[in-house]
Amino acid sequence: MIKLAVESNIGEVVVQTTTNRGFSPEELAQRATDQIVTVSSEAEPIVRQQAEAFKSRIYHVVLGIINQAIKSDRTTLCNEFVQQGHPDIADILRRL
Amino acid sequence: MAITTSMATSFKSELLQGIHNFHNGSGGGTTTTTGTGNTFKIALYTSSATLAASTTAYATTNEVSGTNYTAGGNTLTNVDPSASGTTALTDFADSTWSTATVTARGALIYNSSTTAGSANRAVCALDFGGDKTSTAGDFTVQFPAADASNAIIRIA
Repeated sequence: MIKLAVESNIGEVVVQTTTNRGFSPEELAQRATDQIVTVSSEAEPIVRQQAEAFKSRIYHVVLGIINQAIKSDRTTLCNEFVQQGHPDIADILRRL
Repeated sequence: MAITTSMATSFKSELLQGIHNFHNGSGGGTTTTTGTGNTFKIALYTSSATLAASTTAYATTNEVSGTNYTAGGNTLTNVDPSASGTTALTDFADSTWSTATVTARGALIYNSSTTAGSANRAVCALDFGGDKTSTAGDFTVQFPAADASNAIIRIA
């Protein structure tokens, strides 16, 4: 008799919430890093150390890009508000 | 009343019937006809809900309500199914309800295709482990890394 065993599995989701704000660049960078780099708990210590160092580097690169994206988007929005006759709102946004 | 993280038993059967297609856009389908991926959604539920392997379809009973939450939940962005070693897996992009005031204990991922046979059919139930609340903020469901050990849906 031939038997084929097929196993189906569900992964574990993480829920993140905020109160009266959105996610910070640091929180988003950490989320991105966790999805890009996973380090096995069974990895050799030296491999694990290298992977953690790489993960830290990825975190800082992603954080920098997110901050740049926010600044860039605010520049676009500020210009849009000024062009639409709302320089006061543009000022508020610029000062955030 | 409980929410248990589990793959719907009906979904497993429906996989063998070729009812669900997790491709993002065109792709998948039968060997003779190229199909198009179905639309999958994620709906949030309160702790009063009962979601388990026996859940067969999306229902509004005990679905959460709140600011900036629409019944039926968010549309998910499919990531094309792939293989890692001998494990097949698929994934979704993280899903966020923005500026939302909502409390949820779990979620149901379901096929929101309007095609007969697959419409609103359950994929899996997710238990958050406790009530999660956002107040005028973001409520994000973060999916695990898309690999053979962690991906949200795996067949080994």
